[in-house]
Amino acid sequence: MHELSLAMDVCRITEENVGRSSLGLVREVGVEVGDRSGVEFGTFEFCLDSLLSAPPFRDARACIQRTPGDELRVTYVEVEDGDPED
Amino acid sequence: MAIRRIEVREKVMAKNDEIAAEVRGALAEAGVPCFNLVSSPGSGKTALLERTLQELGDELRIAVVTGDVQTENDAERLARHTDRLVQAVVTNGACHMDARQIRTALEQVDLAQTDLLIVENVGNLVCPASWDLGETEKIVIFSVTEGEDKPLKYPRMFERSTRAVLSKIDLLPYLPFDTDRAVEFARQVNPELEFFFTSSISGEGLEDWYRFLRDAARHGDGVPA
Repeated sequence: MHELSLAMDVCRITEENVGRSSLGLVREVGVEVGDRSGVEFGTFEFCLDSLLSAPPFRDARACIQRTPGDELRVTYVEVEDGDPED
Repeated sequence: MAIRRIEVREKVMAKNDEIAAEVRGALAEAGVPCFNLVSSPGSGKTALLERTLQELGDELRIAVVTGDVQTENDAERLARHTDRLVQAVVTNGACHMDARQIRTALEQVDLAQTDLLIVENVGNLVCPASWDLGETEKIVIFSVTEGEDKPLKYPRMFERSTRAVLSKIDLLPYLPFDTDRAVEFARQVNPELEFFFTSSISGEGLEDWYRFLRDAARHGDGVPA
């Protein structure tokens, strides 16, 4: 549950950065997971992949890197420039 | 098709930490210490609070926020021992409380008329360690019916706590629990950890716990360990 709520927060941050109408265009979300962040890596990865593969996302994937320290952060979002207006 | 990269660098817990700082600020301004009680289910958090409210309730104005995955049973139990409002937070399946819930609960609490705030977290020795609620200190409770090696199994919770309550010590004569070993394991994880040894049934050790709460309320903040 803890990992799922953190994964949902990653989706919230993604939405804040690209806008809800562009979530279907997200291709990759970069996340750093500190080795002392208290996050179980495998469970978190599974939760995030599950969320990113379901609507309103389409073909998004997570690129998760382990880092030293205790922080969990979203580092970048890659979006397809499908619509010039996006 | 072109791919655009947006740099973010945002901590996932940033929102929670921001609200926790806000809660901490409001509590500090009002001079109200806040203790976040964390433990596994069944360690005796509610029993300790029931007795605390019963015996210190006339002396200290204690506000309580309880978190449970389902039911308001703990809040109902505690409400029998105090005239003050006991706030129940039902997390609806979530394994921890977050700072947003505490901020909402505090909307109903008159901090100017409060000496002490106690949060009874969801029974879980893992997840609540990661969530700052704006508390002065986390206090971990574990009982003699659990293994002595709880601190080694759940180190993060014992690291994040400043004090530990070893509860149900009235049962020690009936159990092969080695108290010295439990304390030693806990201090391997956190050498600074201060201990209380209590029984909410016999009342043994509670005077030390009450003294700590009285001192904290008097100072308006946590007492240095």
